[in-house]
Amino acid sequence: MKMVLNLAWRLFKHEARRGELTIILLAIVLSVSAVLSLSLFSERLQSALTDKSAEFLAADAQIRSSDPIPETWFEKAQSEKLQVSRQLRARSMVFGGEKMALVDLRAVSDNYPLKGHISVSNKPFGIEQEINTVPQPGHVWLESRLFQLLRVELGDEVEIGDARFIVSEVLSEIPDAGFNVFATDPLLLVNMADVSAMQITGPGSRVGYRGYFAGEEGDIERFYNWLQPQLNDDLHAWSTIKDDESAVGRSVATAERYFLLASLLAIVLAAVSIAVAAQRYSQRHFDPVAIMKTLGATQKMIRRVYTMQICFIAVVGIVLGIAFGFAIQHLVVMLLADKIEVALSVWHWRPLLIAIFTGAVCAILFSLYPLLRLFSVPPLRVLRRDMDSGLSSRSLQFGAAGGAVFLLMWIYSQDLKISAILFISGVVLVLSLLVVTFGLIWLGRKLGAGRIGPWQLAWARIRRRAMDNSVQLISFSITIMLLLVVLVMRNDMVAQWRAQLPEGTPNYFMSNITAQQKNKLEQHFADKEVRVESFYPVVRGRFVAVNDEQVNTRVSKEDEEPSEGREGLGREANLTWSNQLQRENEVIEGVWHANEGGQTQEGTFPVSVESEIAKRLDIKMGDKLTFNIGSEIVKTQVTSVRKVNWQTMQPNFFFIIHPDAMAAFEPTYITSFYLEAERKADITALMQPFPSVTLFDVDASINQLRDIVDQVSMAVEFILVLVLAAGSLVLIAQVQASMDERQQELAILRTLGAKGKLIRLSVIFEFIIIGMVAGLMAALANELSLYLLQTQVFQMDARIHVEYWLLAPIVGALVVGLLGALGCWRLLTLNTTTLLRRMV
Amino acid sequence: MATTLKDQHDNNNSSIIRTSEITKTVSTSEGQLQILHPISFQVKPGESVAIVGASGSGKSTLLSLLAGLDEVSSGEIWLDNVSLHDLDEEGRAQLRGAKVGFIFQSFMLVQSLTALENIMLPAEIADLKDPSGKARNILEQVGLAHRAHHYPNQLSGGEQQRVAIARAFIGQPRILFADEPTGNLDAVNSHKIEDLLFNLNKEQGTTLILVTHDETLAAKCDRQLVMQAGTLTEKKSDAANYSREAS
Repeated sequence: MKMVLNLAWRLFKHEARRGELTIILLAIVLSVSAVLSLSLFSERLQSALTDKSAEFLAADAQIRSSDPIPETWFEKAQSEKLQVSRQLRARSMVFGGEKMALVDLRAVSDNYPLKGHISVSNKPFGIEQEINTVPQPGHVWLESRLFQLLRVELGDEVEIGDARFIVSEVLSEIPDAGFNVFATDPLLLVNMADVSAMQITGPGSRVGYRGYFAGEEGDIERFYNWLQPQLNDDLHAWSTIKDDESAVGRSVATAERYFLLASLLAIVLAAVSIAVAAQRYSQRHFDPVAIMKTLGATQKMIRRVYTMQICFIAVVGIVLGIAFGFAIQHLVVMLLADKIEVALSVWHWRPLLIAIFTGAVCAILFSLYPLLRLFSVPPLRVLRRDMDSGLSSRSLQFGAAGGAVFLLMWIYSQDLKISAILFISGVVLVLSLLVVTFGLIWLGRKLGAGRIGPWQLAWARIRRRAMDNSVQLISFSITIMLLLVVLVMRNDMVAQWRAQLPEGTPNYFMSNITAQQKNKLEQHFADKEVRVESFYPVVRGRFVAVNDEQVNTRVSKEDEEPSEGREGLGREANLTWSNQLQRENEVIEGVWHANEGGQTQEGTFPVSVESEIAKRLDIKMGDKLTFNIGSEIVKTQVTSVRKVNWQTMQPNFFFIIHPDAMAAFEPTYITSFYLEAERKADITALMQPFPSVTLFDVDASINQLRDIVDQVSMAVEFILVLVLAAGSLVLIAQVQASMDERQQELAILRTLGAKGKLIRLSVIFEFIIIGMVAGLMAALANELSLYLLQTQVFQMDARIHVEYWLLAPIVGALVVGLLGALGCWRLLTLNTTTLLRRMV
Repeated sequence: MATTLKDQHDNNNSSIIRTSEITKTVSTSEGQLQILHPISFQVKPGESVAIVGASGSGKSTLLSLLAGLDEVSSGEIWLDNVSLHDLDEEGRAQLRGAKVGFIFQSFMLVQSLTALENIMLPAEIADLKDPSGKARNILEQVGLAHRAHHYPNQLSGGEQQRVAIARAFIGQPRILFADEPTGNLDAVNSHKIEDLLFNLNKEQGTTLILVTHDETLAAKCDRQLVMQAGTLTEKKSDAANYSREAS
């Protein structure tokens, strides 16, 4: 055993020194470092982004309740090492001097918010700044427009319920305010200690309670497992950042999926590169094995020597890979330090374990078949050099490789769907490529005939090395396909994010604009060079019946405890009318009521309902909906159901009624406009002639959202670059490995006096053909996997990317051809004797 | 002549190599091809035997069967009284490790090991004591002590073959098989190698089976067997010699 160890170590040492192991070692280093840096980076990013998006919940998890939350729940959470915070929400009237206003009152405990910040400003609509406290007992912080509504100033007193408060800050922003621009009631923040004094929680009052929790994911999960049996679906709702359906939540979730995808692809790339390298390693060791067998080494000895050698390679590769991977991600994080908030101090063990596991599994499983081939090299090869290994089962090779890749992807992602999609696309690609390769051989027979020129030589080589070329073609195609998937996915994703918030997205909304003010306001804003968006007419109305059946009971729950971002449907809803379908609205059932239509014989008017609310209130096509507007009754019939993209920052409506139904009503209008940050101070002058118009400042929310989207896009960009770099290295390794196999042929051609140009061109043409076919196949396979990924995993709209069908073969041909040319150039700089000697 | 050889193989227990009616047939796309027709002969310990013949006559195939690198289609081979034909691949490898040395036309050194380590290799495989010391000694004998730590591609062809010879002799094999040992070398180097080979052979009392088409080299051997289209015959003059010794 000692002898075997000695021999294995000596072979390893010498071969490493002589560069024999460079390719396989590089492949392992590359895979380990790519997997480590990608998953470490993405894990760090994910925790940074989760933290960031946790700010929108003001915690890591939240419980909403229409009853007071039992104190034991908070105690249990604290015993699970969680931070807790409490909030009470109520719609209440606030009185300031002569005026009064309905407000969204939030009473908070001292440590609110657990995540994110409260921002205040020194004057209404002023520049906000973060503050680390909550209002003192006896103090109240009011949102800017309340100052307008109540005509109060800082230091004045206001009255809520039975208590009086000093107005001490202008409230700009709280983390969990929500994004809804129709949150009609302005925010007001008080201390939890004042709740009893206000006396607003009596019977009949509409109060909601929230419990906030923050801490380690595991602790939260443990707490939830304890809590879940006690939750009553009618009273309680539990949500974590993962359930966050807001634009931010979705962006982060998509990005997380993308990171996972990129890491999975890095694993596949790693696997491909190790497979290629292991095959080359095995072939280069046929002679030493034959010699050793001739000299009396038994099969068992050979097995041990080379298994040990692979183990040495794997260990060294993994150690180097870890060091290298860590360095890469450290560098990336340092470069991004000022752009993305990534906590460098946080160390994640999972990526390290995954990287080691990947390196080991790849090294073992992908070397398995080449090693088995190596072990079965007959000793007779010492006399008959053309004798190959006795083992040649490609199905075993493909089976082992495919199994290993699938296993790795599944273990890593713990997501059968995403693994299966990638794997199936890969299998389809491999099968098609086998068909194509043999098609090429057939084609090559037709094209390669005739006088020997570079094209003929190239075709002849492709034809002769059909099986080897098919393996090479497969590895090129898979590499290109993976790069395409990562690239196109990123483009589509970022485009979708950007579309949510294009430059100039309105950051202020105005409501309560009367018909008389409408034109004046439009003119006034135009004079000040501020473009105002479309005006939407709005009346407040109550949705009272479906098919003449009263709906009070059905909507009461919504009324009492409106969910995040859906507060438009309360006791009163904002009703609008239009013949024009809004942007990002799609009719999914029925027909949109365009100009024609109007009142039906039964005296109803068409109404279009938003799909989610239709589902929630069990409204079907053809149902008759009754609205109570002022003292009037409006009867409508559902003629279309719309899917609305709530992630756009534009007014959206649950109900859009035919204009004919609303002709008798005097609406107010809402609209929005965009004001650059530097013109923020102009807001007072802009609004001054229209004191009754209510202004909503959503700039902070938009900026917050844009910030996250920017950071996520940036992170995705970096992941893309990392994967591209890894992929390019794999391509280089592949070309290098195959160049080796061409060495002998080059030597013979060279010896026979072939000109360098002929050899070079023939090799370049060969690689161009392979690169082009690989590119085309990769583009097709990319389309399949993208379609599956986007529709099944990313919940995006899939589209065909025809441009890549052209681009991929061209780039494939160029890149692979260029790499081939470079490899060939290196070989041609060697003299013929060296080449011939290398053949021995 | 083949008949003569067959007659002589009976009752000769002092032979180190004994073959009986060995044949080799391979399958080709055009059916079965018989490369070796029944061959029987014996070689005595310490004898040097040249197998000569044209390219493709079956010399190397015979060598591969004798050395246990390949299996016979029929017939029996005895190496130092061990029935090679009964052994499996593992058994044959062990027998080679214990009793057989090889020299090849293309040297067949392990490119990633130094000259010294190449020589140590068989000693290590056979688990002999002090492989390094033994290797140094023999390296000195072949005049390459100063090249101990050079890799094969840093050595000339002649030097590589000397390393190969050293490697072949380190385990003091009972039989040495040499396949065109000077085929890749120039005249000067060829002579050096030939001298070295025969001297070591004599010193260690090794039996030498040498495949060559170099007549001068073949002439230096005790006997010459001629391979022609898969049939082995003894060259006349040497046959007389052999008869004399056998009797």
